[in-house]
Amino acid sequence: MEARLLRRPAATCCHRLLASSTTPAASLLPPVTLQFPSTGARHKSTTNRTKRALNIAPHASFLNKPSATDRIIFNPPSSAASVFHTPFKFLPKTDPRRRANLTSLFASSASIQFNSPSSSASDAAPAPGTTEDTLPPKIGGRVGRTHHMTKEDVLEMRRLRETDPVANSVNRLAAKFGCSHLFVLMCCQAPREHKEKHVAAGELVKSRWGPRRRAAREDRKRRLEMLFRGEL
Amino acid sequence: MPKTARPKTAVLAFQLAGCEYQPPAGDQTWTGQLLAARPGAPPASAGALRPRCVASRPRQLCLSARRQQPQQQQSAQETDADTFDVLQDGTDHARYPPLERLPASVAGYPSPLPERALKSAKLAALHARLSLPSKIPLQTLARALVDGSADENPQFNNSNLAFVGHTLITYHVAEWLMCHYPRLPMSIVFSAVQAYAGDKALHQVARSWGVETAAAPGGEVDPGLLQFSLDKPTTTVLKFGYKRTEAAYLEKFKWRRGISSRVVFDDDFGGVVKSAEPEEEQEDDDLEEAEEGLSPSYTSYGTDKTRQIAEKVHANFARATIGAVYAHCGREAAKAFINAHIMSRTLDLSNLFAFKHPTRELALLCAREDFDHPVARLLSETGRMSRTPVFVVGIYSGTDKLGEGAGPSLDLARFKAAMNSLKAWYLYSPGGNVRVPSDMLVEDAKPWEPAHIDIGEIISR
Repeated sequence: MEARLLRRPAATCCHRLLASSTTPAASLLPPVTLQFPSTGARHKSTTNRTKRALNIAPHASFLNKPSATDRIIFNPPSSAASVFHTPFKFLPKTDPRRRANLTSLFASSASIQFNSPSSSASDAAPAPGTTEDTLPPKIGGRVGRTHHMTKEDVLEMRRLRETDPVANSVNRLAAKFGCSHLFVLMCCQAPREHKEKHVAAGELVKSRWGPRRRAAREDRKRRLEMLFRGEL
Repeated sequence: MPKTARPKTAVLAFQLAGCEYQPPAGDQTWTGQLLAARPGAPPASAGALRPRCVASRPRQLCLSARRQQPQQQQSAQETDADTFDVLQDGTDHARYPPLERLPASVAGYPSPLPERALKSAKLAALHARLSLPSKIPLQTLARALVDGSADENPQFNNSNLAFVGHTLITYHVAEWLMCHYPRLPMSIVFSAVQAYAGDKALHQVARSWGVETAAAPGGEVDPGLLQFSLDKPTTTVLKFGYKRTEAAYLEKFKWRRGISSRVVFDDDFGGVVKSAEPEEEQEDDDLEEAEEGLSPSYTSYGTDKTRQIAEKVHANFARATIGAVYAHCGREAAKAFINAHIMSRTLDLSNLFAFKHPTRELALLCAREDFDHPVARLLSETGRMSRTPVFVVGIYSGTDKLGEGAGPSLDLARFKAAMNSLKAWYLYSPGGNVRVPSDMLVEDAKPWEPAHIDIGEIISR
């Protein structure tokens, strides 16, 4: 650790030299000379080689690189928002902070009425001019509920699942009817033999797992539980 | 219909048995103890100190004969100086003189006599260290240091004071939480109250006051030491709560205890009120094992069990101190003391939460509050193809961001963002200077503005 701290000024010097040099050969060199090998191996055959391999150059933002224009460096990066700062939408109607923020309230209500008149305008206070299009991209698939399934659809789904559970798997039914697989699972029951076969196939796959794969899966499960307890 | 073990209305009456108001007579205090033994005072006050026992009352309610001990003792001290050696254990008392010369009779008592409190340097130091008002006599502080396991007599142990103190602490903690975090789910309120007023927290408070423990209880120990016995833990009930009829099956069959039933039946922390008898035997077994060195958990600091007992005793001492402040100085002083010593402790409420299906819970919340359905959006990412990627995901309802979270995968980041959004909902606070209902008890209080009350929890637990 101390060695790396000592080498940092050296790396800065090196970087400055490279930046100031005008020879084309020097500018063709990679900007940071001490490169971490791309293989990602953390251990070498000898201690010396391991140390050298792990000796990563500091991030570019740590080097006070001379630049033509002023710029902001977020180093360290911004921390996560505190959960004690209640979002504007979560403030109750009687909260004085809601009244104190009247300007943004009106701004947001105007923009929201323009886009979707049905949404509750009094609850929102994003930056003025924010629309669904300017927001970051969505992740995950379909969100929200459409409630398009009828009773006949459900009966048909059940019949299909009963008759041929292999051809009409849960995912295929979900795709066919345009609903989530959870909804299919809520509606249909596969025949007992099919379920048993399914479970047996799963057990067979699990029995082929080695200790590493098993441990990795257990760890993943444990990590998720830790996340839900707020420990990650 | 549950069997009511301890009816709430009658508890104060019998818990405070022996502490009923005595009219001022001489130096007598609220609890009927000597306020200060003046050195030159004539012993004629014995008549005034004699307890006024009404014949119809049960004998337990009368003041004990130990109260008159000071007068008899003084005469004993003057007459025979030969009985001073307390312990006939073969110690060379000429070479190692006892620190305090005591009459032989004190060894017969389970706890030090009240009048010895005035001579204890430790007790005076503790009184000064806590900046207790001079209205609180040293005798009461000495009584707060005697646990029920040291002295079974409720007139001489701290169980009455601890009961009052416990009630006051939980009241103030609960009202503070209710007014400052009106949306907290009940399970979190239970754990938060426990974190402020539970045994573990109050144990730390009592330790921070610098209280030392006596090796064993007895009449000869310094009254400034915390006295309790590990051999026979007290069975005094110090908390409200009903004993559930199905209590025996809860652990055996892992029956579910809903939060609503916890509010009704269980104690202030949502824990089951247990009967003490079967546990006692277990503890005895553990102690015996520990003494024989059989238990692997036995160290020089005792076993888990002994540490647990010590923790409870320390907590009860802290409670009893607050009960004493209330008894002698009144409501406002007790509230100030609780604010200074208990409410001033830091508790990170956001760490108490644990979720099962955060995304589903958030969707339910948005549906209930008529917000747009929550949508996860990728704010930024780095190293998607690497071994250690980081994704920052925000949860949006319409165009409003509800919360964001970072994680090593899209799903984990999404869960974390949903958890943060839910915490932001639950941890809403109307501000730091919200008034609590007990603020209205002061004279010239401003008119009460109703506190924010949430409509309820999103999912039942």
